[in-house]
Amino acid sequence: MFGPPPPGPFRPGFWRSPLRGPWLTSLLGAVLLIAVPLIAVTGYLSNAAYNPRLGENALGRNLGLLDFYLFPWPTHPAWLYAFTQGLHVTLGLAAFPILLAKLWSVIPKLFEWPPLRSPAHALERLSLLFLVGGGLFEFITGILDIQYAYLFGFFFTDAHYYGAWVFSGALAFHVLLKFGTMRSSLRTRGIVAPLREKLTDTRPEPGEGDDFAAPSMTRRALVGTVGAGSLLLLAQGAGDSIGGPLRRLALFGPRERFGGGPNGFAVNRTASSAGIAGHDVGGAWRLTVRGAGRSVSLSRAQLEALPSSTHELPIACVEGWSTTQRWRGVPLRDLARLVEMRGQLTVDVSSIEQNGVFAKASLGSQQISDARTLLALSVNGEYLSLDHGYPARVIGPALPGVHCTKWVSELRFREAQRR
Amino acid sequence: MRARYGAGPLHLFAGLGSLLICGAAVLQWLASPDALRILIWFVAAAVAHDLVLLPLYSALDRLSGARGVGSWRVYLRVPLLLSGLLLLVFGPEILRLGNATYRTASGGTQNVYLIRFLLASGALFALSGAAYALRSTRS
Repeated sequence: MFGPPPPGPFRPGFWRSPLRGPWLTSLLGAVLLIAVPLIAVTGYLSNAAYNPRLGENALGRNLGLLDFYLFPWPTHPAWLYAFTQGLHVTLGLAAFPILLAKLWSVIPKLFEWPPLRSPAHALERLSLLFLVGGGLFEFITGILDIQYAYLFGFFFTDAHYYGAWVFSGALAFHVLLKFGTMRSSLRTRGIVAPLREKLTDTRPEPGEGDDFAAPSMTRRALVGTVGAGSLLLLAQGAGDSIGGPLRRLALFGPRERFGGGPNGFAVNRTASSAGIAGHDVGGAWRLTVRGAGRSVSLSRAQLEALPSSTHELPIACVEGWSTTQRWRGVPLRDLARLVEMRGQLTVDVSSIEQNGVFAKASLGSQQISDARTLLALSVNGEYLSLDHGYPARVIGPALPGVHCTKWVSELRFREAQRR
Repeated sequence: MRARYGAGPLHLFAGLGSLLICGAAVLQWLASPDALRILIWFVAAAVAHDLVLLPLYSALDRLSGARGVGSWRVYLRVPLLLSGLLLLVFGPEILRLGNATYRTASGGTQNVYLIRFLLASGALFALSGAAYALRSTRS
C-alpha cells in the first residue's frame, strides 16, 4: 500500500547517531515514569487546593466530568501547598531536559515506514499526537507561566489543567504499550554496564543495524549531560521553593526579595499595580463582616483590640516559590462569631482591589475551622506594608498564595454546603 | 482480531479509553473562549517538534558524527548544550518577554537575567575547559 520509503528521515540511514536505541530510550523513559506521575499528581492537587467548586474560585471555568476532587484540601501541615507546588515546578523543570532527550532518542520512530501498518498501529500513532503535543504543551505553558511570559494569549489555568488530561490520557496508553519493552531492555543490558563503555567500545545497540556514524561521545557523556542539565534546572526550582541559602542557586528563579526590614520578602502583586492608593486604606477603611443576615463594621483599631494569635505560615505561589513568615492576626473563625456564625462555614473574601483576577477568593470549611487561618494585621512584629496587604490580609495554612487576599474589605461567611 | 486489527483486544480497549480521556479534555478546551489559540498551541507543540526540532537534531547529528572523533569536541559540546538548555528554558525572562507583567507582580524587573545567563554560560565553558586541560595534562 505504501511502497518503499521516500528519501530523507523515512530511511534508516538518515539518522546517524549510534547512541539511539531501546536501551537509551528505556533509561530516559524509566526516569520520566517516576517524575511525570509526581508532576501530574501534584498538579491535580494544586487544582484541588484552589477549591474551584466554591464561590467564584473557578474563575469562570465550566466545571465538567474531569473536575473531580476526591477529598477536601487539608490545612495540615501548613507547608503542604508549598511542598506539593514546589515539587510540581521543580520536578517539571528537572524533567524537561530528560523529555527532550527522550524525544531525540525516539525521533526516527516518528518517521517509520510504512506510516500505518494496521488499525492498531493507526490508533497508536493518533495517541502519539496527543502524547507529544499534550506533553510539550504542558511543559511549554508551565515554563512560560513561571516567567510571566504570557505569549500564548489564553488563560493559563484552564488550558494547563485540561492539557494535563490530554497528556495523562495518552501517557497511560503509552506506558501500557511500552512498559514491557522498557523493563526487558533495561534487564538485558543492565543500567550501569552501558554507561561504563569507553568511546572505543561504544557501538550501536544490538539489533539496531550498523548504518550509523562512528560515535563521538560515550553513552556516559550523553546521559551525564542530560543529567547535568536536569540538575541545573532542578536547582532553579529547589532554590526558589526551599529558600534559605539554597535560594542563591536559583539564578533564574522568578522571585527576589522585595524591599528590606520585617516586610522585606517576595511580593505577589504590588499595591501600585493593584491600584491601591493611600486614601483607600487610611482612617476611613472599614472591614465589613457579614453572615446570616447580620453585618458588623470594624475599624483597624477595633480589629487590633480583638484577641490575636501568631503563626509561622508560608505564602506559597503556584509558580513554585514560597516564603515563610511570622504572621499575627485575628483567626477568621473568631470574626465569624461576631456575626453569630459557628460550625462548618465557608467565607467569600473581597479586596478593595477592583480589577485583579484574584480580588475575590472563597475559603472552605477546612480553612475556617483551623485557628491558624488569620486575618493578618502584622508580620514579623511590624504592621503589614502596603505591598503586603495593609490594613489586613488573609493568610492560612496550606492555602495557595493567591487566595491569601490582600487589602481585605469584606468577609462574607456562609454555612458550608454538604456535598 | 489480531489479523484484522493488528493487536489483541486489550490494546483496543486501552487505546479507546485513552483517546476518550484525551477527547473529553479537548472538549473542555473547546468550551473556553480561547479555544482556537489553545488548539493552535497544542498542534504547534506537536508539529514544531517534528519540523523545528527534527532539522535541529539531524544537523546536530551530522555535526557531531560525520567529522570523526576528537575528545575536545565533547568538552565543547557539553557546555554548549547546557547553555543552550538555559537559553531555551529561561529565554523568555532572559529576553525580558514578561517584563511588564513581572514588574506588576513582583515589583522587580527581568533585567538581571541576561547578565546571569552570560555569567552562568561563561562558568560552564570555563569549567569544561578546565576539565579538558586537566585531562590533557594527565594523559
